[in-house]
Amino acid sequence: MNTNHILSSFDRDLEGVQAHLMKMGGLVEAAIHDAANALENGDTELAEKTRKADRNIDALDELINEEAARLIALRAPTAIDLRLALSVLKISASLERIGDFAKNMAKRSLIVNAQSPVDGVPQTVRRMARLVEKMLADVLDAYMRRDDTLAAAIIQDDEDVDQMYNGLFREILTFMMEDPRSISACMHYHFMAKNVERMGDHVTAIAEQVIYLTTGQTPGAQRETRDLTSIEPALSAPEDK
Amino acid sequence: MKDNRIVERDVDNADIRINAKGVNVFYGDSHAIKDVSVDIPANAVTAFIGPSGCGKSTFLRCLNRMNDTISICRVTGDILLDGEDIYDKRVDPVQLRAKVGMVFQKPNPFPKSIFDNVAYGPRIHGLANTRAELNEIVESALRRAAIWDEVKDRLDAPGTGLSGGQQQRLCIARAVATAPDVLLMDEPCSALDPIATAQVEELIAELAENYAVVIVTHSMQQAARVSQKTAFFHLGSLVEFGETGQIFTNPKDPRTESYITGRIG
Amino acid sequence: MTPLVNPPRKSIHQIDARTKKRNAAEARFKAYGLAAITLGLFFLVVLFTTIIKSGLPAFTRTAVAVEMTLSPADHAAAEKQLMKTGAYQKLFVAAVQQQLRIDATDDAIQRLLGKVGGDIRAFYKENPSMIGKAHVFTLSASSRVDAYLNGKLTRETLVDSRFMQLSDLDLVDGLVDAGIIQSTFNWGFITGADSGVDNPGGAGIGASVVGSFYMMLVVLVLSLPIGVAASIYLEEFAPQNKFTDLIEVNISNLAAVPSIVFGILGLAVFIQFMHLPQSAPLVGGLVLTLMTLPTIIISTRAALKAVPPSIRDAALGLGASRTQAVFHHVLPLAMPGILTGTIIGLAQALGETAPLLLIGMVGFVARGYPTGLLDGFTEANSAMPAQIYTWAARADSAFYDKAWGGIIILLAFLIVMNIVAIILRRRFERRW
Repeated sequence: MNTNHILSSFDRDLEGVQAHLMKMGGLVEAAIHDAANALENGDTELAEKTRKADRNIDALDELINEEAARLIALRAPTAIDLRLALSVLKISASLERIGDFAKNMAKRSLIVNAQSPVDGVPQTVRRMARLVEKMLADVLDAYMRRDDTLAAAIIQDDEDVDQMYNGLFREILTFMMEDPRSISACMHYHFMAKNVERMGDHVTAIAEQVIYLTTGQTPGAQRETRDLTSIEPALSAPEDK
Repeated sequence: MKDNRIVERDVDNADIRINAKGVNVFYGDSHAIKDVSVDIPANAVTAFIGPSGCGKSTFLRCLNRMNDTISICRVTGDILLDGEDIYDKRVDPVQLRAKVGMVFQKPNPFPKSIFDNVAYGPRIHGLANTRAELNEIVESALRRAAIWDEVKDRLDAPGTGLSGGQQQRLCIARAVATAPDVLLMDEPCSALDPIATAQVEELIAELAENYAVVIVTHSMQQAARVSQKTAFFHLGSLVEFGETGQIFTNPKDPRTESYITGRIG
Repeated sequence: MTPLVNPPRKSIHQIDARTKKRNAAEARFKAYGLAAITLGLFFLVVLFTTIIKSGLPAFTRTAVAVEMTLSPADHAAAEKQLMKTGAYQKLFVAAVQQQLRIDATDDAIQRLLGKVGGDIRAFYKENPSMIGKAHVFTLSASSRVDAYLNGKLTRETLVDSRFMQLSDLDLVDGLVDAGIIQSTFNWGFITGADSGVDNPGGAGIGASVVGSFYMMLVVLVLSLPIGVAASIYLEEFAPQNKFTDLIEVNISNLAAVPSIVFGILGLAVFIQFMHLPQSAPLVGGLVLTLMTLPTIIISTRAALKAVPPSIRDAALGLGASRTQAVFHHVLPLAMPGILTGTIIGLAQALGETAPLLLIGMVGFVARGYPTGLLDGFTEANSAMPAQIYTWAARADSAFYDKAWGGIIILLAFLIVMNIVAIILRRRFERRW
């Protein structure tokens, strides 16, 4: 297929909105990275910075929404262009949510840093965050390259995030049972872990958009959820020791 | 209430009114239409889109044998109207054209009164025996074309005195008056302003309840708005034929995609 | 590709040299056009004033008005004479002498009169009751008197001859003073027939007008249906092939064939081969039909071509047959154009002289009106242009005036024809 529109300003509009999306993706990646680091290192300054940086992400989201709306109204896109406009809207919404989670993480890390840290948990959360960060980088890459195979692989990767979350859930549960004083911190750690797990879900949603954009099909069979905490009684009601 | 979305997507199961198989058209030595096969469903709008000179109008004019008027034009293949070959020796094109009405690009009312414009078809085909019957046919045709209220008080006024959109609806009324099974429309809105276009499009949607409508259009948006099935022609071949929603969101053929997204002319 | 670069901005209030040049060229062109139209109008005015000035004398005639009483005895005596009209003429001369106060010889009076004896005799033949009663006759003076009173003949230019002598002019003056010679409107010119070469005063164009009328009737009745039918076939039905191309080329060529060729063709085919009567308006009409057909066919085809194809499509799309489409829609729309072409063809035919001369429709055969309505087609007659030609070729200069007068009548006939055509066209004309 010829990649350029006859109307070159149409191409410029499409490129513009995608450039903003990529910029937003970069900011969100950085936000995850910084939030995780701030947590691990107890870096209050970094956490504060990350929290404030979310404003830029929200502004970009608004900009992208506006641009996509203009694109749809003025260019009446069809086929690949229509899918692009729609996916840009959805991806930007997902990125915005991820940004919010990162901000929330940074906020909570300020609180837990003030309390006594629980050994090992921040590191696990950071590992999870790293994984999600990589997935995000990959999915943005897949988006740019219109690579639906890579996107499908990323959807599979989310299972690892879920596994890690399940593990961490148990771990935190154990900590809380062992030492009731750590409950407050552990609750925050759990929320952070949950945030990261939700980030993973949003990255999955972005990957699905990449597949829709490239193939025109939304991935049909819903992946089985791996967040077992909500369905496995064994996990939700921990056994007595 | 019926769910329109489901009705619109259900056209694949509808009756087939016109069945074209392996149609080739030659103008002298040039091969204008190459092996086109299309099924036109009843009670639905089928749109033909494609760049200029792709053969969509030529193919449309094959469906009521308007190409017969061009001496160097030769048509091969089968075009069946309700299972009967319209290029059969026994078919009189004059009779066929009463069954397969046509509306043209430019509104072309006869320079006669509005009444006479609509009454012309029924008169030459002897559809009315009395004046009262003729009046009834004219009124119902004008009502069907959603122009009755605008012209009922001036049926004796010349048809050419109407506005462009009204003229086109008058032409549609004129085509409807001969009680056709199929309505062919060759870019019916290309000479109209957006309001008139919207009125004609609304009319087309209503007409599809009773007729098989085939519309050739240069405006892809129009095809998207009014049709349930869309056929994309390119260089005389039928590239893709499918449900309109699918063609416009997820075309199968890269040429279709390029055309509808504005990447090739 | 070199990018387009805007030149430095200049005020649009300043007109640059190039624009000035273009404006000048435009103004020049307008001036040329205006000059051409003015020149055309000038010539038109010259033409019309010349025609009217030269032609008007034909509509007046110088008459000698005298009261005369014919006694039954004189009548009987005149009827016994060998030269009956001559006798009547002599009686009239006597009547003039009677009313005249001045001396004049009979011969002199005779010279001033036209050929009036016949008119007098005809009058008494029709009104025998008038014999013995007084009656004022208004009869033509001779063409010399006419010329003298019109100023064409003066005492200086007059050469004594048996037609007129210098002394006669004194007599004319005297007669004018006495009110015997007077100028009257010449109805005879409009209603009459051609006269002999020696009687320009009695010449009229009426018979030729009737001849032209019959001829135009033949041309119209034949060329319009044939021409329109041929055009419709060629334009709407005929397949496009070498044969129709050939026909087309030939029709265009026929329009350019000199009319004299049609004349000799008419002579050979209609008169010598088919033995139709000579000098008959029917034959003239047939010849002119042949000449007019190409004009009508060409203009009709142009009119048919000018009908938008969308109208044909509309009719065919509704299931009308070709014939229905043509006769219900295309032909009515083409009618104004067809009428224009027809009127041009007819006007051309009306003014055609050469072919008529060849088939014998010369001026001098127009000696009277046809005896019956249908006989008008077959009885020998002339046509206006042939009549005019005949008069212009005659020796007596008085016929020259008649020729000019004939042209006025011809133009009037043409104008009437055009008005009828315009009225018809108005009725057919419709908006698209």
